Amino acid sequence: MAACTRRLDKVMFSIRLLRNIQQKNERFLSTSMRRLDEGSDGGKPTKFTPPPKPVIIDKTQSEASLRKFLSPEFIPPRQRINPLKFAIERKDMIQRRKVLNIPEFYVGSVLAVTMADPHASGKTNRFMGICIQRGGHGLGATFVLRNIIDGQGVEICYEMYSPRLQQLEVLKLEKRLDNNLMYLRDALPEYSTVNLDMKPVPHSVTGDVPVNKTRVRMRPKPWSKRWERPKYNVQGIRFDLCLSPEKLEHAQKWAEPWREYDMLKEYDTTALEERFLKEVQTEMSKSTCP
Amino acid sequence: MAAWTCRFLLYRGARVLAGRTGAVAAADSCLFQSVRTVKTTTWWEEHLTEDNKSYMRKSLGEEYNRQIAAKLHPLKDEPWPRQEWTKESRRVGLVAVKLGMAPVWTKTGERHVVTMLQVQDCHVLNYLSKEEYDGHTAALMVGGKNASPFYKSDEEMEMFRLAGVPPKQKVTTFKVSDNAIIKPGTPLYAAHFRPGQYVDVTAKTIGKGFQGVMKRYGFKGQPASHGQTKTHRRPGASGPGGDPAKVFKGKKMPGMMGNVFDTAHGLKVWRVNTRYNVIYVHGSVPGHKNCLLKVRDTNLPTYVEKNINPPFPTFFCEEDEQLPEDLYDEDLFIHTQPSLTL
Repeated sequence: MAACTRRLDKVMFSIRLLRNIQQKNERFLSTSMRRLDEGSDGGKPTKFTPPPKPVIIDKTQSEASLRKFLSPEFIPPRQRINPLKFAIERKDMIQRRKVLNIPEFYVGSVLAVTMADPHASGKTNRFMGICIQRGGHGLGATFVLRNIIDGQGVEICYEMYSPRLQQLEVLKLEKRLDNNLMYLRDALPEYSTVNLDMKPVPHSVTGDVPVNKTRVRMRPKPWSKRWERPKYNVQGIRFDLCLSPEKLEHAQKWAEPWREYDMLKEYDTTALEERFLKEVQTEMSKSTCP
Repeated sequence: MAAWTCRFLLYRGARVLAGRTGAVAAADSCLFQSVRTVKTTTWWEEHLTEDNKSYMRKSLGEEYNRQIAAKLHPLKDEPWPRQEWTKESRRVGLVAVKLGMAPVWTKTGERHVVTMLQVQDCHVLNYLSKEEYDGHTAALMVGGKNASPFYKSDEEMEMFRLAGVPPKQKVTTFKVSDNAIIKPGTPLYAAHFRPGQYVDVTAKTIGKGFQGVMKRYGFKGQPASHGQTKTHRRPGASGPGGDPAKVFKGKKMPGMMGNVFDTAHGLKVWRVNTRYNVIYVHGSVPGHKNCLLKVRDTNLPTYVEKNINPPFPTFFCEEDEQLPEDLYDEDLFIHTQPSLTL
């Protein structure tokens, strides 16, 4: 908080400092509208700095109102692992994030990924789709993108910190009712199709992420998993259109109502999240090392 | 090391009485109480007051820091003569702690997994000459990861006292050639191994308890259906038949699995972090997370030429040039580099 007020004071003092801070803050803010390059700072000859990432920053808004987002792979799992291991991995992750901009996205957002591919013409291939799952911790964090191309469903699992990834763009930033959309495999294809010529949809960097409350219609059973069972806790399926009330009641037999009282499964990550968020923000705001 | 036994008694009667009389006793809430039956041995804090206990713990920590600080500059402390590395010389190894695993990528985009091993407070404890050890090679005893002296016997503590280091959790012996001996008390660091070298890692495997023959030796078992009567995971036949008319010694049968020492050979060192003393070693190593391992140069003949000209007899922090915080193998992709364009 003190850092924010200090930064606010600097913003009041000089516009140039504001511009510098904007350029530093671009790393953990994500939008997709292009903005003309502001032009180099006149005067002192500096070493080459990469061009600023395309970002919309509302100059009237203070840093305190920006949305705080910590990518879920920074949060360590609940295991008996020495925290030093996570600290060293976090350093590597931050180093990689300074080179490749990994934007904020959630399960349900539409992403486009450009990856190095030695067998493709132009040596890169670009794939876009809905993010249906985010998994893994630390450097091995992954996300799965799903799309339907020429009638064939395609899912690709990308590793976020792989050096072959060259660009990650968020075309549409939104959340869904669940944080795992694997049921789209058994849903009607219209819900998994993403138009390949889709233009990026602008989104704001403040306030809450829009939640897409669509509930998906499913293909007839059998499904790959019994999504009606309470262990998957799926909110985004129109069960009333595909299952009778007796079947839904029968599925509730697999409910485990005691699990919410299981104290060994409690894992409060709020303190860890705050600490890591502050660490990531301070490290990212430091300029690229010489 | 007080090995006392206790009896667990059920105090149901006392509880009912207390309820009737209305008096509330402090130890009333638990039905079980333990009663100490063997009273000959004692543990270190049994007869101490609270402030004495905290004083002992505090002075222990201070003593450790003093001992480690005294040993920080081995080259100024009458070190034993340093000799040059030759092809036949064998140098000492380290004791490390297994932190966990992580992915790494090469400059060509291939992904490998590495295990991170941290060298915590590793010191050379003792030197055994050729005659003392086995008549053929000299040996050095090395210990890693400080432990509490309160639970070590006097015989164990004698070696640590002579070397002037805090007591260690794991003490191992490394066979060394005569030109690689080091004075006891010298600290050993992760920079003893450099990226590109190959190591062998020995540790106790995770104990699985008493296991059947399918898990222990990978037997195929029997089919699940088609008339099998009560036989799905059994070993089946146990030998030839009437001619030997016996079961040979060493027949694979169910038994205790794991919790034995196993070595992973020929593991490449990808990266060394000199600030936290972490070695990144290729693939997986035996043992659970936070277990203690023994790391030494490979014996495999195929990697002999990768291990030439190592820091000999070990890496001395003060004398050798200031190493950068991270040492990387030449094939390794460092995350500060730009993304790969294959």
